[in-house]
Amino acid sequence: MGKKRKHSETVVPAPKEDTAPERPKRTIMGWKDKTQVKEQTDSAVFRNKEKILVTCSRRISYRYRHLMLNVVSLLPHCKKDNKVESKSSKGATLNELVELKSCSSCLFFECRKRSDLYLWMAKSPSGPSVKFLVNAVHTMEELKLSGNHLKGSRPLLTFSANFDNDAHWKLIKEIIIQIFGTPKEHRKSKPYHDHVFAFSILDDHIWFRNYQIDVPHNESDKLARGGLDKMTLVEVGPRFCLNPIKIFGGSFGGPTLYENPFYVSPNQIRALEKKQKAGKYAKKVKAKTRRKMHELENPLEPDEFADMWKE
Amino acid sequence: MRMPSKNSTLLDEDVMEDDEIEGEAYESDTESEEEDEEEEGDVKLMEPKKDSVYDRDGLGDKLQDIRWPENAGWIHKLSIDVNQEQEVDVNDDLHREAAFYRQALEGTRQAFEKLQSMKLPFLRPPDYYAEMVKSDAHMEKVRGRFLAEKRSREEADERRKAREAKKLAKEVQAQKLKERAKQKKEEIESVKKWRKQRQQSGFAGGDKGSEMDFAFEDGKSFERSNKKRPGAAPGDRSGGKARQGGKGKKGLENKQKNREFKNSKFGHGGRKGLRKQNTAETTDHFKAFNKGGGPGNNKRKR
Repeated sequence: MGKKRKHSETVVPAPKEDTAPERPKRTIMGWKDKTQVKEQTDSAVFRNKEKILVTCSRRISYRYRHLMLNVVSLLPHCKKDNKVESKSSKGATLNELVELKSCSSCLFFECRKRSDLYLWMAKSPSGPSVKFLVNAVHTMEELKLSGNHLKGSRPLLTFSANFDNDAHWKLIKEIIIQIFGTPKEHRKSKPYHDHVFAFSILDDHIWFRNYQIDVPHNESDKLARGGLDKMTLVEVGPRFCLNPIKIFGGSFGGPTLYENPFYVSPNQIRALEKKQKAGKYAKKVKAKTRRKMHELENPLEPDEFADMWKE
Repeated sequence: MRMPSKNSTLLDEDVMEDDEIEGEAYESDTESEEEDEEEEGDVKLMEPKKDSVYDRDGLGDKLQDIRWPENAGWIHKLSIDVNQEQEVDVNDDLHREAAFYRQALEGTRQAFEKLQSMKLPFLRPPDYYAEMVKSDAHMEKVRGRFLAEKRSREEADERRKAREAKKLAKEVQAQKLKERAKQKKEEIESVKKWRKQRQQSGFAGGDKGSEMDFAFEDGKSFERSNKKRPGAAPGDRSGGKARQGGKGKKGLENKQKNREFKNSKFGHGGRKGLRKQNTAETTDHFKAFNKGGGPGNNKRKR
């Protein structure tokens, strides 16, 4: 493993830490520096510096825009940017934007025909990127979703076990972990964990849910006896369902690594529906002509009693 | 047909029903000749494309590229894998959501145990106030809706209960009436029996005068008597003159009688309209029949 590391997760060697020591934590009792020493003894300290650019295409519908804003509110480590024209050259534009904002990944909500939403998840600058079709969208504003949680608290990410079944699911899982996980000790993040994201694969789609964790407890870090058993979850939202379409090697482009063999674009589905509707009339006409032909082919025998009462 | 059903949301049963109806209509359509054509379109969705790209090595390489170094601890990821116990039908909204809920719950439990073993604080103390994802105004709305729903549910319950109580009361009332009728019958029966016994035993005053005659023995006790009521109109329920029967001295008595008669005729009570109608007696009564002229002439003649 580990051929090249161009991206943001830098491995900071220990001596560098010495030149710019972090300020020790302040507590009520004074300065706390015991842990500091302990951390420095580690040979290399990993620091997650993920930063996400969130943006959308122009002419996005309000519902999808609200979904995007919900995602923004869930990710304290993201930067929201202006809408981008959804042209064929959008990839280059977006890459530039990501670099300009010094982000390491990008979520791009692309709305087409004001009805279909595509979501791009891209790692920058060297890829990969995944394109999803988004289905079954429910935003946080819906009143049925009654949970609430701290803005910026780090979410727990739960994945269903079938993410490890296949290569493309593994890759998607890694990308999701990096994008949706809030970096530890991010300056906008808050301590404590009071919500959980559920990603699960069902019918080759990734379903996303966000729940608030509700545990009865009296003190900050001490669980009441049997508290874990009494834990309940309340859904906060948003909800959506991702159908992977393609995985590209680069960010917003590059060689195709995966293509969903089952994918049918919504355009095709609509066309099919239209065709079916159009077929109705054609069928009627056809039936009519067939009936006519049948009648011509099998004329009725002349009725022998037809003239019986005429005289 | 497969894709649109994906869009069906959790609680939109109407949408689901619509889908089903469409599906039925669709099936009935396909019975005719064009079955093959449409079937083709459907199969396309189910069958994987053959020329689709799947570069496993490339995917693996990319995964290695972007993966965090090994020494990055779990605390950076906070990810938990949860086994799904059983397969869930996608279109069964309730079961699907329950599966997601179970996954999240199980994952949270595991994560909390891990965090607890690391001795890290993970529960928000009750006095920790900070900005929430949803605003207070929004949460107020949510609460309002919840309360409204609860209220409407309670009201519906109450209505249903009242309806049922009404039904029950009707039955009880019918039962009561029946019982009353039965009791009455029994009482009459017992009186009859008693009389028979008395007759048989040859009671001393067994003649006609002393015999008690109860009106209700015929079972017609509550019908109005056929007796004529002097001075009362047919519809008059005041009882007429007979009811107000007079007593007293002779001189005064006469005067009072007159007054009473007038009262019963013109006084309060009873419908006055029927007085002008003919009754069985008055139709044959020619005494007051004015043969002569009309009402206009009548006055002049006098």
